[in-house]
Amino acid sequence: MMEQSVNLVINGQTYQVAKDPPRVLLWVLRDELGLTGTKFGCGAGYCGACTVHLDGVAVRSCQVPVSRVAGRAVTTIEGLARGEELHPVQRAFLEAQTPQCGWCMSGQMMTATALIAANPRPSEEEIIAAMDGNYCRCGAYARIRRAVARAAALARAATEAV
Amino acid sequence: MSQPPARRWRVSRRGFLIGAGVVGGGLALGATLGLPWLRLALADVVDGAAPPTIVTTDPAFWFEIAADGRVRLAMPKVEMGQGIHTALAQIAAEELELAWEQIEVVPSSSAGPVADNFGTNASNSVASLFAPLRETAATMRELLRAEAADRLGVAPAALRVANGAFFVADDPERRLSYGELAADAARREVPAEPPVLKPSTAWTLIGASVPRVDLPAKIRGAATYGYDARAEGMLYGAVARPPSLGATLRRAAPGEAARRPGVVAVVAERDFAGVAAESRSAAAAAVRAMDLEWTEGPPLQQEQIDARVRAVPGRGVVIQRAGNAAAALRGPGVITAEYRTPMAAHAHLEPQAALVDVRPDRVLARVSTQYPLGTAQAIARALGRDARTVEVVPTYLGGGFGRRMVSEVAVEAARLSAAAGRPVHVGWSRAEEFHHGFVRPPTHHVLRAALGPDGRIVALEHSQASGGVIFPFIPAPLRALFGADFGAWRGACISYAVPHISVSAEHVPLPIATGAWRGLGLLANIFAIESFIDELAHIAGADPLAFRIAHTGDDEHGRRLRAVLTTVAERAGWGTPAPAGRARGVACSIDAGTVVAHIAEVSRKPEGGVRVHTVWAVVDPGLPINPDGVAAQTEGNICMGLSSVLFERLSVRNGRIAADNFGAYPLLTMRDAPAIEVTVLRSGDVPYGAGEPPMGPIGAAVANAVFALTGQRLRELPLTEV
Repeated sequence: MMEQSVNLVINGQTYQVAKDPPRVLLWVLRDELGLTGTKFGCGAGYCGACTVHLDGVAVRSCQVPVSRVAGRAVTTIEGLARGEELHPVQRAFLEAQTPQCGWCMSGQMMTATALIAANPRPSEEEIIAAMDGNYCRCGAYARIRRAVARAAALARAATEAV
Repeated sequence: MSQPPARRWRVSRRGFLIGAGVVGGGLALGATLGLPWLRLALADVVDGAAPPTIVTTDPAFWFEIAADGRVRLAMPKVEMGQGIHTALAQIAAEELELAWEQIEVVPSSSAGPVADNFGTNASNSVASLFAPLRETAATMRELLRAEAADRLGVAPAALRVANGAFFVADDPERRLSYGELAADAARREVPAEPPVLKPSTAWTLIGASVPRVDLPAKIRGAATYGYDARAEGMLYGAVARPPSLGATLRRAAPGEAARRPGVVAVVAERDFAGVAAESRSAAAAAVRAMDLEWTEGPPLQQEQIDARVRAVPGRGVVIQRAGNAAAALRGPGVITAEYRTPMAAHAHLEPQAALVDVRPDRVLARVSTQYPLGTAQAIARALGRDARTVEVVPTYLGGGFGRRMVSEVAVEAARLSAAAGRPVHVGWSRAEEFHHGFVRPPTHHVLRAALGPDGRIVALEHSQASGGVIFPFIPAPLRALFGADFGAWRGACISYAVPHISVSAEHVPLPIATGAWRGLGLLANIFAIESFIDELAHIAGADPLAFRIAHTGDDEHGRRLRAVLTTVAERAGWGTPAPAGRARGVACSIDAGTVVAHIAEVSRKPEGGVRVHTVWAVVDPGLPINPDGVAAQTEGNICMGLSSVLFERLSVRNGRIAADNFGAYPLLTMRDAPAIEVTVLRSGDVPYGAGEPPMGPIGAAVANAVFALTGQRLRELPLTEV
């Protein structure tokens, strides 16, 4: 039976899911593992609502075959906070009262988190370049932009405090 | 609440009932607004008399105070990002003298405790619920006060109240919390006299930018939307879709579907074909294996639709008239311009979704819907059940924008669940969203005006034609009663003081389903009117902002328009030169009682197209319950409006909507989102809506800025030909 399953490491926890039929990470997360914080928006990689981290890199989980995820670290919105303690990106998004409907926000925050991890001092242009692939139909872009800059500052402060 | 005994209710002056009851050992109080909206005017007739028999006694909202002092407010309105749960809780907590942490909001289902007859739409929630919510909360407070006075042996007036507890004014140690009072207070009579409401000068929560109650869960990805609803033993459903617009099912048979792996039920009926299976992919694959024959619709083209939408002065239903515009617009010198807006998709990022569990005796559904009661009725009709046995619980909504006033997906899940005998979740794909359901209708506008020798507008005529917005959803007799589709002509009336005005609207039935899109006709109508006002200002040789102010009236709307225009001019530095290569445009509107002015600063992109750098927005919603919430709605309306104004055009090709996904229908992204500077004004103590009105002027503000920049007048959305 083992060869017919795939081990997924998601938010530090190991899950075993069937290898077949071929399917993408998004629906495995949502429908098989109950991790519904990762959202479905278009299924074609346009909107960014399903963004998760694969080994720390932001990817569209609707475009990632589950077979490619075996043995790699997946982080979803559910894994961003440490218990009660919100991630600096979550703190900044909350502080700016950023979400409206909220459906795109997991993807926005995962994209922002990967950006800040790779580039602790993103310029405005770098923020736009990184966030430009994440749709927000409610139109909270001004606050998202502000929240990402603020999150970078919060993350730097947290790093320096350690 | 089905038949409250006489002493347990009071008819308020505003025509709603307030009644009290005991729930679980605590005090519960509700107000009934359930007047069918067409009968609202009749409410005054029965004011103060016996409980009107025409009204439902379902409460419009419902408070409960538990023994631990927590107050639960059952929400009649759904949360789709507009912050309504927070705003309504602020209003209630204010009058109940609660600390903000003491109030808890719970969604209400179609079965109660409050059943909303109207749905959440039209920027109407705060405006319609403000007065009854305050009065009910104050009534509850006074019931508790009377109980506290008896128990403490003092006169009610000797009591003070704060943070959910009464205390004796000159002996604050003697206190009783709401939790301690609730059970006994519930046995008291509702006072016959309306309670004294808190004066606005004493408000601490109303008018405060309280953080949204729904955001902590949304930040953690823990908020449940319709697409996230789960149940033990659930299946996933997929539904066969017509191959073209107007296609109908001629014959449906299960074919090979039932033999597919994971398939539990196949439904092949005259008007519906679908599958319930153990996974989404299994269900989708099985639907493709069904044996279906369709009668195709006509090979419709966009040009055929647009050709029908043609406003002709004098042909529509007159909806606003002053003086004699027809006479004033005879003769030479009449200025005429035509404007067009295209079809648009709602493109809410959470596709429609529902989880429905059909059991022998009852149906339970969880749906991202703007209209739980209407959705419950639709399920009941489809299954041939009594609507009272169907309960629709609204989840959070991943955007609504009018599309979720109708939730077909819940009916689909219900039909599949009925066949499978298990809960079924149906979630639409993005292609299903683009191809099925309804779209924002195309519009056409003819504006005509005459200027006097002093450069003032003497006569102004707006003739508009639009596909249906509300009409497709109401019965023919009501359509006849209204004449014109009041959704389509939202925003079509003239808010300026002009001697001769004529506004007419024509409903155009179209071979494609059209309906409500955020703001209904607002974006299109204000784009046409405010672009034309700009044209007139330039012809008159006047500054466009001064020209608008010069045409405001002496009434309340005129005063408020002047205030937003003056303020936005200050904020944007109107009159000072824009940076090199940029120009500014202004536009304003009044919608749902809320007055808005925008100034947009634009440039031309090197590759063509408009870049909007900054939008200064001034919004006067009367009384802003939550100013930061109003600001957020303003920012969102500007961005969603800009997406439509700059990019979006939905087209029909060969009988199908051309776009399958966002590749062919791109939305505004962060790169094209402007800096937005919002100023929220407070002009009184009555709140108006904020969920749609700030969208009104954005199209014209940008088009007028483009004219200021290039001298090119763009009269059709989207503004791509720059």
